[in-house]
Amino acid sequence: MRRLMIKPLVVLMMTTSLAWASEAALENIQVETSVAAVERGADNLMNDCHSCHSLKYIKYRDLVTFGIDKKKIEAWRGDQALDAPLASLMTDDAAMQSFGKVPPDLSLMTRAREGGASYVYAYLLGYYNTPDGVTSNHLFPETKMPDVLGISGTTEPAQRAELQGKAHDIVSFLAWAADPHEEERYRLGYYVIGYLLILTSLLYFVKNQIWSRLK
Amino acid sequence: MAENDTSSDTGRRNFLVGLSALVGGAGAAAACIPFVSSMNPSSDVLAKATTEFDLAGMNPGDMRTVAWQGKPVFVLRRTEEQIKAMAASSGGLDPEPDQKRAKQPEWLVVVGVCTHMGCVPNKEGPGWTCHCHGSQYDDSGRVLRGPAPKNLDVPPYRFIAADKIIIGEA
Amino acid sequence: MINKIIKGPNRIIKWIDDRFPLTSFVKHELTGYPTPRNLSYWWNFGFLAGFVLVLQVVTGIFLAMHYKADVAQSFDSIQHIMRDVNYGWLLRYMHSTGASAFFLVIYIHMARTLYYGSYRAPRELMWWTGQGLLLLLMATAFMGYLLPWGQMSFWGATVITNLFRATPFIGEQVVVWLRGDYTVGDATLTRFFALHFLFPFLIIGAVVVHLVALHTVKSSNPSGIDLAAKDNIPFHPYFTIKDFFGLGVFLLVFSVFVFFIPNSLIEPANNIPANPMVTPNHIVPEWYFLPFYAILRSVPNMVGGVVAMGLSVMMFAFMPFLDRSRIPGGAHFRPIFRVQFYLFLLDMLVLGYIGYIPPTSQSILIGQIATLCYFGSFFVIPFISIAEERWLHKRGLPPEVEALIASEAHELSKFPHRRRKGDIE
Repeated sequence: MRRLMIKPLVVLMMTTSLAWASEAALENIQVETSVAAVERGADNLMNDCHSCHSLKYIKYRDLVTFGIDKKKIEAWRGDQALDAPLASLMTDDAAMQSFGKVPPDLSLMTRAREGGASYVYAYLLGYYNTPDGVTSNHLFPETKMPDVLGISGTTEPAQRAELQGKAHDIVSFLAWAADPHEEERYRLGYYVIGYLLILTSLLYFVKNQIWSRLK
Repeated sequence: MAENDTSSDTGRRNFLVGLSALVGGAGAAAACIPFVSSMNPSSDVLAKATTEFDLAGMNPGDMRTVAWQGKPVFVLRRTEEQIKAMAASSGGLDPEPDQKRAKQPEWLVVVGVCTHMGCVPNKEGPGWTCHCHGSQYDDSGRVLRGPAPKNLDVPPYRFIAADKIIIGEA
Repeated sequence: MINKIIKGPNRIIKWIDDRFPLTSFVKHELTGYPTPRNLSYWWNFGFLAGFVLVLQVVTGIFLAMHYKADVAQSFDSIQHIMRDVNYGWLLRYMHSTGASAFFLVIYIHMARTLYYGSYRAPRELMWWTGQGLLLLLMATAFMGYLLPWGQMSFWGATVITNLFRATPFIGEQVVVWLRGDYTVGDATLTRFFALHFLFPFLIIGAVVVHLVALHTVKSSNPSGIDLAAKDNIPFHPYFTIKDFFGLGVFLLVFSVFVFFIPNSLIEPANNIPANPMVTPNHIVPEWYFLPFYAILRSVPNMVGGVVAMGLSVMMFAFMPFLDRSRIPGGAHFRPIFRVQFYLFLLDMLVLGYIGYIPPTSQSILIGQIATLCYFGSFFVIPFISIAEERWLHKRGLPPEVEALIASEAHELSKFPHRRRKGDIE
């Protein structure tokens, strides 16, 4: 089980130095890549998010391929085809009526926000109750999404820790959904770089050999 | 131009050059793999490699056309007479016993693509007729009249329930 | 035995040579092409740019096999490439990283030319064809950036096509004509795809011109003078192997980006499908456009800003006229020009940073100062370069430079057509 570093604030600016003063620092989280964590995340997501949010680039078959428990997938998909995308259960019209906007698709959520997985994690746990009894969000005050995890009403440390674990699993699932080939990419990357190191060293020696002909 | 080949270390250099060329060439060849591979069917196309088909509601003599991998598959529920006639004959140009072509005598599943030039034959009277070049097939999908050289293909399929088949998996 | 083996190919080559100048071409352009032996690794970047061009064309063609230029399907087709197509993620990340790599390599190539004064006679045409290549590259990259049809694609294209509103009298019409619609829409996307596919082939054509010019005037070198024949060595094998080694190093860096941090070069907002109703809070161009974008924002007047931005890219073309110094070696033997060069790079970095951050009154002021410095550094070159030359002569040139000037004068006596006004006879 390998943990991958998510570096939300690493943006390589080649001509400029780093500029990110205006944004509040996010807690840097590492997403889990294990099947178990992603499966827990999928479980939570299907319960807490899927009624309003779609994941249209993820098909039930992708979950099977990844290795998530088949029985769970069968329960989630009901009579939908294995190749059906994870559409939300709510129509756009109903969403417009309840929230005034269509909840965004989550397939690329951890890629589509500055800060990536750390942003989504902090956002899910960013709800709090104002003194006037209104629930707001530290990261995104104008959000239309209710506090689905219920973090704003939870004060007991043990329960808060549990919700943090839940949010972490959801974010792990979303990170996988946004980039399902990440593991494969890293693995291939190690081979390619290893190969290039060998080839480049060889070329270096050949270059020295050939240039040594010159007086 | 200033160039001076002492050629004292030619052997070692040739070895290094050869080795580098070999390693570099192998890498260049390997780098072609993703490009070639990207032209193969993508995973969502591969996922459509099998088709499930519900046989319920078909009466004897009914034929349905099912899309499998983008091709038409004929599913024919044969009548008693058709079963008898087909069992008695061994076809025409490409003789083959009917038992080998139908897993259950009542159900015939064949790829509806003429083995001549790939047109889709029509169900006409007993069997099928291809309108492109006039080939004729019987109710077992066996070719009776050319120019088609071979019988209609039987796709891999199996019964996953009494009234349900999956095409694409044997 | 060996004779027998090589006889076959020899006969084929002879057959070709009777019909096409193959052997003489290879001899003239490769095995016998004289190249200064003192070239440093800064001279590797032209070859690298050529490699990246090929890489972009090849990955681009394979991506085009799966991409759909249609506002309803573009974003989905990119996700199809990223998720379903075999190695589609690799092709796309190579292409998106390749765009940045292309600019990085070209900017280093240009910086080398500026530092060593390689744009000076007789290489003006190389510099100008290079300038044309830069413009083509910018246009290609800009149009390619629309294709994923994300938020940044859409709003970037909206802002940049709006620049043409600065056209006198017919600005609005030009913008609508460019887009084929009142906003950036389906017509815009389809034509950008067509042109994004075409332009690389124009680039290849311009590269051929660039290379023909190169093989006429030959490479410049760090000494800043044309070397005597004895100091030249054949391009092959010396520089083929050096270029291949440089390529290996380049590919190592490139692979780190492609395999480990490819998303560092993709704006998060571009992972949201284009929405003409909502502008992202913070639109920024790709890093390679940032300095020029900062110049655009620094000028309060719209037309002025567009003109300033256009001019800022074109300023480089004036270098052969602006720099009249006859001290060889560009910045190498010219202390003041060297300081100026580094200050200019620093100014570019400041502009890039200002172009990146959201505009505030303070950042706009800094941007305006940096813009003045940008243009100022070009305008002062004629005066400074002449003053510097006088000062250097007065102070007494280092013997090394004296030797170079003498050797150049000797070379020039053999090639009188290369002589410039005021050269030592």
